[in-house]
Amino acid sequence: MFLFALIQAVALLALSPLMSGISRVIKARMQSRRGPGVLQEYRDIFKLLRRQNIAPEASGIISRIMPYVLLSSMLVVAMALPIVTLGSPFGVGGDLITVIYLFALYRFFFALAGLDSGSIFAGIGASREVTLGVLVEPILVLSLIVIALIAGSTNLGSISTSLATDPLQSPTATLLAMGACAFAVFIEMGKIPFDVAEAEQELQEGPLTEYSGPSLALVKLGLALKQVVIASLFVGVLLPFGNSEVLTIGSLSLAIVLFLIKLLVVFVIASLFENSLARGRFLLTSRTTWVGFGVAALAFVFYLTGL
Amino acid sequence: MGNPLQLLLISIVIYLVGAILPPLVSRSERQVIRLSAIASMVGGIFGLLASAPILMGADMMTFAVDGPFSFAHFIVRLDGLAAFMVMVISLLVVVTSLYSLSYAEEYLGKGARYMGLFMNLFIASMVALVVMDNAFYFLVFFEMMSLASYFLVITEQDDEAVSAGLLYFLIAHAGSVLIMIAFFILYKESGSMDFDSFRQANLSAPEASAVFLLAFFGFGAKAGMIPLHGWLPRAHPAAPSHASALMSGVMVKIGIFGIIKVGIDILGATSAWWGLVVLAFGAVSAVLGVMYALAEHDIKKLLAYHTVENIGIILMGVGVGMIGIATQHPVLAVVGILGGLYHLLNHAVFKGLLFLGAGSVMYRVHTKDMELMGGLAKLMPYTAITFLIGTMAISALPPLNGFVSEWFTYQALFTMSHEGSFIMRIAGPVAIVMLAITGALAALCFVKVYGISFAGAARSEKAANATEVPLPMILAMVLLALLCIALGVGAPLVSPVIANISAQLTGQAAMPVASGSLVFPGSSPQTVLSTPLIALLLIGFLTLPLLIYSIFKSQRLRHRHGGNPWACGYGYDGQMAVSAGGFTQPLRTMFAPLYRLRKTLDPSPVMSRAMQSTIRGATRAEPWWEEKVVLPIARAVLWSGKRIQWLQHGDFRLYCLYVVIALTVLMLVTVM
Repeated sequence: MFLFALIQAVALLALSPLMSGISRVIKARMQSRRGPGVLQEYRDIFKLLRRQNIAPEASGIISRIMPYVLLSSMLVVAMALPIVTLGSPFGVGGDLITVIYLFALYRFFFALAGLDSGSIFAGIGASREVTLGVLVEPILVLSLIVIALIAGSTNLGSISTSLATDPLQSPTATLLAMGACAFAVFIEMGKIPFDVAEAEQELQEGPLTEYSGPSLALVKLGLALKQVVIASLFVGVLLPFGNSEVLTIGSLSLAIVLFLIKLLVVFVIASLFENSLARGRFLLTSRTTWVGFGVAALAFVFYLTGL
Repeated sequence: MGNPLQLLLISIVIYLVGAILPPLVSRSERQVIRLSAIASMVGGIFGLLASAPILMGADMMTFAVDGPFSFAHFIVRLDGLAAFMVMVISLLVVVTSLYSLSYAEEYLGKGARYMGLFMNLFIASMVALVVMDNAFYFLVFFEMMSLASYFLVITEQDDEAVSAGLLYFLIAHAGSVLIMIAFFILYKESGSMDFDSFRQANLSAPEASAVFLLAFFGFGAKAGMIPLHGWLPRAHPAAPSHASALMSGVMVKIGIFGIIKVGIDILGATSAWWGLVVLAFGAVSAVLGVMYALAEHDIKKLLAYHTVENIGIILMGVGVGMIGIATQHPVLAVVGILGGLYHLLNHAVFKGLLFLGAGSVMYRVHTKDMELMGGLAKLMPYTAITFLIGTMAISALPPLNGFVSEWFTYQALFTMSHEGSFIMRIAGPVAIVMLAITGALAALCFVKVYGISFAGAARSEKAANATEVPLPMILAMVLLALLCIALGVGAPLVSPVIANISAQLTGQAAMPVASGSLVFPGSSPQTVLSTPLIALLLIGFLTLPLLIYSIFKSQRLRHRHGGNPWACGYGYDGQMAVSAGGFTQPLRTMFAPLYRLRKTLDPSPVMSRAMQSTIRGATRAEPWWEEKVVLPIARAVLWSGKRIQWLQHGDFRLYCLYVVIALTVLMLVTVM
């Protein structure tokens, strides 16, 4: 199981630039551009890996280790996600709270690196990154807790098993919680109206402003991996149909195909939303996120009444 | 090796000797500092030795003598909880005194001579207090602790320190009064001042609730929970850093200890709503504490507000535990208290570390204002790396210690939301969300603290010329940083020990919470966590990006480090970098109403107004006696003296006449 989890994490990492590439293609098409090919992200990463690493005078150790922390924290989460199996392949790290705090670890270093370079844009970007985290985290936690309460466990594997075997325990609450969770996932993917499209992470790429060469390649990989991981968290835990209970070649390959389709659908829908919305003013973001929190709270109320 | 009680006695005696002897035997201030620091360090080691056997599962020990007062027996009781507190206190004492070996030199000529005296008295009274099993002596030591720490707060003697000290003094004593009333009610019912008779006392439900609420708010003031926190952000920054580390890391925990002692140990947590009250105050303290911390630029004030936050988190665990006891839900009781106590220990360790780190920065940069720091990571690498570990621990990032205790608290809250009664099922998720917001805000706040003060470029001349601090200070910080890692990664070893204390305290059977490298909440492993494995994987996965990084290594030019960040083509200036205020500005705008709450919630203006009117009243009342009673009498005597002066002429015959007249008058009086 452990080896399987390891393979799953590495596979997700390998897959993530492809998903970003698909997003880019959709974006270009919706803006009536021809755009790059689906594999452009891979090309970018390989190109950057050949370039020189440049860092400003002020930047220190945090800037250097940030890309590594991004990838390693997301890979641990990737191991724990029940995306093709019903249970979590790496159960001891597959607790809901653990996963959310691993995301916090990611965000902590991402933002810290922004302040480390002393750059103006990076600093503001870091500030926005953590602020957005504060706004999203309650939505994510509350919606997932409601589903965990219905399933009776905070373990991601148990939640997905419970949803797959008995999805009608509290249908309204489940649906509302899924809606709120989808909203939080959408924000976490770094999309408009919460982020600028042209500069992937807003404000001249925010904390990435001062990154270059191979470090930038690693950070880009980390950001892409986070998008894939958060989307997989959603489809794996909340839409577990088709996940295999036992490790046989047949059920596994079916589950993998199903998972890829689900992931693709999530990315396509997210991209469609992203490109049909305008960038919102940052200071007003909290008004939008309150709606998400309201839906999650409503889900909780429905859970209490047992609907 | 003596038995734990003897070791404890030795430790307290060493503290007392360390308090009194050094200023007497030595003229040199430097030597006085060293001697008293070494004394407290040795005392702390004895304290650790004393608590270890009890923590490892030995039976509790008691010791009783009648003492000089017939109404109060001197009873010492070293049970699991007391041993745990002794361990936490001693642990931090050892480290902070090691730190103070160098740090106290900052205060040479500024009261350093007596700092050791008050430090040692402060520590001794805390250790004595937690093992006392008699209300009278408990209060005596409680007052001693408040008094000694008051003197530590006013060490610097400037206006800010004195007024902070006064506020602290007031709130501490307002709390003591409530605690005394609670104890007196218990005394009235049980007829003795011993805690043991308190435990047996038969209180009616309203009486028990009254006692609990009095004790809760009394000890809550000491713990610094909102809305009784006003003194904390003012008193902690004023004290010397090693003293703030002890005050914030340990002394406020005495408040928590008191709440547990009265609520659970003495009253047995009989009503579920007590737990809900504790939980509610805890949740509000956690969120508001961290919100207010965000707005601060003064690094020590910010840390003090984080103490309010963490006290809130501890109270949440304790609250759930109390609910569990009242509703007879063993998992809830044990895991809740486990989360609370674990976080108590963790907070002592990482907050101690952070205060020491802040002290180290102040030792070199001589300011508490973060806007004047910056870029210290390169100049003070050891301070920076240990401080970073501290910030990660307090932000509850896995696999460090803060995460484990919060994880247990989350699990206890989740169990409560899942299996409790209706009101508990509502309260649980609300508390979970508040804990999650607290976590996210804490991470934001510490990104700011580390990012503004240690990362980036220097923001002032002094910061640019800072150098690493002396070895004892580094050692102290490294020790605490290692503890942060050990208490996190070693969770499978640590949590059973604390779970045993928790089970003993709540009167439940011992419950497995760990096996192998796993920890889980209570008897039914509904979910598991393995911090050692997560730590291993986090480190192991660093190799993968390293591998990717090394592709094309031969074709690439060397890493180049230098130059300014990009500023849209304009000349870069250090002033352009984001400031502490700017960093948190979006959030402060979004949560503006919560900041307005601070003014309405804070009792300190009311306190100081009350104080001022008392002083005004006193200045008016004080001369009244003199002006209205003493002076008129004196004036009357003087006046009458002058009036009867004509009687005295110096003529002998006239005096004889007076005698005759007097005799006649007296005779007439007696006859009539």
